[in-house]
Amino acid sequence: MNSTLIFVIVIALILLLVFISVFNSLTNKKNQVTNAFGTIDVQLKNRYDLIPNLVATVQQYATHEKELLTKITELRSKVMQHDLAPEDRVNLDNQISSALSGLMVAVENYPDLKASQNFIDLQRSLNEVESQIAAARRAYNAAVTDFNNAIEMFPGNLLAGMMLLKAKQVFTATETERGNVNVKNLFQS
Amino acid sequence: MASANELKLLYENQLKEKLSALESTRKKILNRYLLTFLFLAGLTAGIFFLVSLNPHEALIIISILGSIAFLIWFMYETGKINKKYRESFKSGVVAEVVKLINPEWKYLFDHCMSQESYQQSGLFPHHYDRYEGDDFVTGQIEKTDFQFSELHTQYKQVTYGSKGQRREHWVTIFRGVFLHADFNKNFSGTTYVLPDTAEKLLGKFGQSLQKMSSRGELVKLENPEFEKQFVVYSSDQVESRYILTPTIMEAMVNLSNRFGGEIYFSFVGSRVYFANSINEALFEPNIFRSGVNFGDMKEMYDLFEMISVLVHELNLNTRIWTKS
Repeated sequence: MNSTLIFVIVIALILLLVFISVFNSLTNKKNQVTNAFGTIDVQLKNRYDLIPNLVATVQQYATHEKELLTKITELRSKVMQHDLAPEDRVNLDNQISSALSGLMVAVENYPDLKASQNFIDLQRSLNEVESQIAAARRAYNAAVTDFNNAIEMFPGNLLAGMMLLKAKQVFTATETERGNVNVKNLFQS
Repeated sequence: MASANELKLLYENQLKEKLSALESTRKKILNRYLLTFLFLAGLTAGIFFLVSLNPHEALIIISILGSIAFLIWFMYETGKINKKYRESFKSGVVAEVVKLINPEWKYLFDHCMSQESYQQSGLFPHHYDRYEGDDFVTGQIEKTDFQFSELHTQYKQVTYGSKGQRREHWVTIFRGVFLHADFNKNFSGTTYVLPDTAEKLLGKFGQSLQKMSSRGELVKLENPEFEKQFVVYSSDQVESRYILTPTIMEAMVNLSNRFGGEIYFSFVGSRVYFANSINEALFEPNIFRSGVNFGDMKEMYDLFEMISVLVHELNLNTRIWTKS
């Protein structure tokens, strides 16, 4: 009788320990995802900070790109608003990405601009930020994959329901990014 | 950059002659080795013979001491010749091969990578008792400066036998070529790319063991081929991915397939450190067979070429980021 009781208590303790460790590991993974998302945000902010400088520099040389520049400035001010829904943010951000790459193609027509030291520096900063964003996105994807694996595999899946955890989406390239590079655009003068 | 054909040309025009000139020294050393061996054999036989004659004890001692003194002198002399032979090989032949690859590179055969660089790399944190190396090459490929040398580090292990006898062995920590070069991006943390032994042996379980490391967090990357060969630790998840772009991962897999042996990378303080373990003496002249041999030259050339291959594969000259 006594030994059965001890047995039951030991089993219960083991189960409790398993429960705690799974709970903690899931919480840890969930927080890592949030943290990784935050890092992308920081890098995106860095990119927005570059835009005013970029626009000012390009304006001096590229007189015919007014429309594109205005669009970029508008997009930036929209995305800087605080109370944006995440989907809108992502959407705006994609638009900024494609507008910026459009701008980088357009500057090919202005040799003076391309040769300006100021612009070269900005281009380097932009490259830097872009690779940081790419890195942050990959880190986010890794964190999400880790999290998704944990909540879909046993024993995490038992707890995930109770903790109301749902699988998260990984970042994928947008339609415009996935499309082939239009080489014709690059060589139009 | 020179091609393998130019090496062949250099070999035919210059090196062959130099190597042939060195042949007589090599044979002299080999003969001296042989003589030492014969002398030792003769000495042993002589002692037995002497003892069997049962002479005065002093006579035995004097003759043994005399023979040993002679032997020490003889070996010392051989060592001197050997050293000269090695030096003329290095300055006459190895230096020419380095010069062929790039005449502006500096080659110092009796120098090696500084201990600070070795420690900074963090690749082999085990404390060492012996630090040796030679064949130091330094120079620049376009915008990227580098340092390269052969290195051998060991630590002393003391074991006690069943009767408490003390035994010392030297255990190798790293042996092979070690290189560091300027990296084209700025970073503040540390990232290590190491051969993946645990995962190869133990699979998924190995991966869970890898999580526990003093080098930083385990970084899981997307390239399955890369993940099979390497394990990555970093102080910063994002920064490690900023350094290890898909292109760089691909390049590392290529390098690993190309060089063979275990390869290690670390990214510390704006430099990339690279180590390739090769368990043999490199860039050394041969005593026991003829040195007039194109194969040896090609081997040496390939090892020095490793520097250029690394710089180009890792695109270290691409400077489109903020670091100029």
